[in-house]
Amino acid sequence: MHGLRFLLLWAAAATGFGAVSGTLNLDGKAVDPFEPAAKVRVFIFVRTDCPVSNRYAPELKRLSDEFAPRGAIFAMVYADPAETIENIRRHLGEFGFPGAVIRDPAHSLVRRAKATITPEAAVFSAEGKLLYHGRIDNRYVELGKAMVAPTRHDLEEAIAAALDGRPQPEESAPAVGCYLADVE
Amino acid sequence: MRWVLPFAALAAAAWPGKAEVVTFYKDITPIIYHSCAPCHRPGEAGPFPLLTYEDVKKHATQIVAVTSRRYMPPWLPEAGHGDFQDEQGLSDTQIRLIEEWVQHGAQAGVPADAAPLPKFTLGWQLGAPDLVLRAAAPYPLRADGPDEYWNFVLPMKLAGTRWVKAIEIRPGNARAVHHANVLIDRSRTARTQEKTPGSGFPGMDLNIEADTFDPDSHFLFWKPGGIPWEEPEGMAWRADSSTDLILNVHMQPTGKPEMVQPSIGLYFTDQAGTKFPMLVQLEHDSALDIPPGARDFQVSDDFTVPMDMDVLAVYPHAHYLGRLLEGYATLPDGSRRWLIRIPDWDVNWQAVYRYKEPVFLPKGSVVSMRFHYDNSDANARNPNHPAKRVRGGNQATDEMGHLWLQVLPRGSEDRRMELQEAIMRHRLDKYPGDFSAHFNLGALQLARGNAAEAIPSLRSAVEARPEQPVALNALGAALMTTGNASDAAALFERALRSNPQYTNARYNLADALAEEQQWEQSAAQFRQVLKESPEDAGAREHLGEVLRLWGNQMAAAGRLEDAAAHFRECLLFRQDDAALHSDLGTVLAKLGRFREAVPEFETAVRLDPHLDTAKHNLQAARARLEKAGEQGAIR
Repeated sequence: MHGLRFLLLWAAAATGFGAVSGTLNLDGKAVDPFEPAAKVRVFIFVRTDCPVSNRYAPELKRLSDEFAPRGAIFAMVYADPAETIENIRRHLGEFGFPGAVIRDPAHSLVRRAKATITPEAAVFSAEGKLLYHGRIDNRYVELGKAMVAPTRHDLEEAIAAALDGRPQPEESAPAVGCYLADVE
Repeated sequence: MRWVLPFAALAAAAWPGKAEVVTFYKDITPIIYHSCAPCHRPGEAGPFPLLTYEDVKKHATQIVAVTSRRYMPPWLPEAGHGDFQDEQGLSDTQIRLIEEWVQHGAQAGVPADAAPLPKFTLGWQLGAPDLVLRAAAPYPLRADGPDEYWNFVLPMKLAGTRWVKAIEIRPGNARAVHHANVLIDRSRTARTQEKTPGSGFPGMDLNIEADTFDPDSHFLFWKPGGIPWEEPEGMAWRADSSTDLILNVHMQPTGKPEMVQPSIGLYFTDQAGTKFPMLVQLEHDSALDIPPGARDFQVSDDFTVPMDMDVLAVYPHAHYLGRLLEGYATLPDGSRRWLIRIPDWDVNWQAVYRYKEPVFLPKGSVVSMRFHYDNSDANARNPNHPAKRVRGGNQATDEMGHLWLQVLPRGSEDRRMELQEAIMRHRLDKYPGDFSAHFNLGALQLARGNAAEAIPSLRSAVEARPEQPVALNALGAALMTTGNASDAAALFERALRSNPQYTNARYNLADALAEEQQWEQSAAQFRQVLKESPEDAGAREHLGEVLRLWGNQMAAAGRLEDAAAHFRECLLFRQDDAALHSDLGTVLAKLGRFREAVPEFETAVRLDPHLDTAKHNLQAARARLEKAGEQGAIR
């Protein structure tokens, strides 16, 4: 097991995108977040106690329903090292977040995805290249100030572009929500 | 040496890095415990607890972000524009201190330095209520989508009238409920908007119609972290057995499906209300017609107060386009007194603000409302992107501009009618054909006993809404009081055509017909009233009177059978009326029905031994019976 992980990490390092170590599944086992191979990989950084990322659960479900059949693999990333597995399971059950679940207590995937906020999205190519990172949409203008409905769906555009092999749309405003730095 | 602490805190903020390091326990707990933890604790509205070092550390950067922008703790009024109780904003010094703490690594420090953790009460903050009203069914809130506004109808099941000194609202789901308002519906009309009883109905705001003068007097409002308000001595409000409370709830989807089933706890007092505050509303709803793209659309209203009064509390209200909300008074000496100023309105954090000291307004002061709206795409809260024309209305996509004041006229007597009159006259200045202003002015004159003066206003009200049954009924009542029963009867009939279940109008119609001596029609209407409302003592008494007079008329006309029938029906309502028994006996005797007449005379004499006619007639009837017996007749 250890040997395998080492190999995978080494492979990742060799491709030049930086290693990811210490990511775990809900059974506490080390997992490579980039396995299995996917055409497009989408990570969403969430917390159990962030009301902003919670509110995005239905939208993430919608995006997963739209793009999973086209080859995008979604994974929710919990980066709070103090968060219990029990709590994460309950959270997933209550809100119905889609996709796989990865714990990133060491924040290595956080760094690799350049994430700072929950909820923040990161879209990677099949080769592990970071194509997009940032907000899901423009619903939240700032903490406590939200539009009734978003008018720009940044993540949706980013995934669609990645799947179609088109260049990414222009960068938009940063994500709004809770700070990953608070749970390092 | 606790007295050192505040100084240390100030020093740290003023000279960063020079004084000792800011720590959680020493410097941050006083702020967190006082300003954050009341909501951010289990069971309350805050989405995560802020009670321990670990709790706060996990949100440290976020706390800096929300406090520096003054989003948290939520407090909209601008300092220096009204001195309010339970002010929740942080001072600049406190905000800097939190920043400082996070910049220097959000250190814990020594637990012994911590401020004492307040003793928070779980559940009802005022203790077990005297009465708990719970929504009949939970409202299922969707996981996603725009905010929702729902009205729960809560019937008061009281044995009699009670006086309420406090209410407390438990949202039933603190995370989903943003704020809530209670309206008193004494006429039980709001419930007609429910599809099925107990199901509630949608709407951000609602109008309660009333047909008696009982104006709103208290703000019954709940927001997260708010301390339930206990009315001061003498300011309890009346709750009747037949009152509905309408709980208007603002809910925000949380990302998962939620059930919301709120409760209201009521706290009673034996002390009846002796002070009579009233809610005064400034508004100009008809002027709320905001073109798309307008960045600074203004709505104003100015009301001259007709008496010396104290302003106790203020509640500004707008929807999503409201930006700058101002309320102030210009005193007779020309000076300005700020009532409230909200530079960046956010409907999510609307609240009732109670003054630390009542704001005195001498008679002749002008209260002004100046509300500014932003209907451009730059307003993120704009419900419409792209922006579109928005008008006044009760739904979240409509706009609103109300400045409510709770005022208490000076003096010991109840001066609400006088105040109401001034409000309605002001309303007529804004809306010359306004139904409610004309109607209320007429109703006020009627309540004062000035029927003749009420008639022109009520006629205008009927002109504005020709089918409005309450106005038709009131105009009819005014005409009847001035002696015009036949026109009155026609108006009551019109009211009944609009609403056949309008028992009050039917009662009045029956009275008008009686006035016209149309006994038969009058009795028929009273019988219907008693079908609809069997316990109506007035209707029983009046029907009795009508039957009595009708019987008298029949007796005088020699229609003795009819007279006997009416007197007999009348006895259903007047069993103990000796004269009635006597008259019935007389009619029966005249008909030769002595066997029936005798017990009536007997009852009359038993009820009133001094009733000589009855005594005399009893003897005569008995004599006739004996004679008839001798002759073998059976009558």
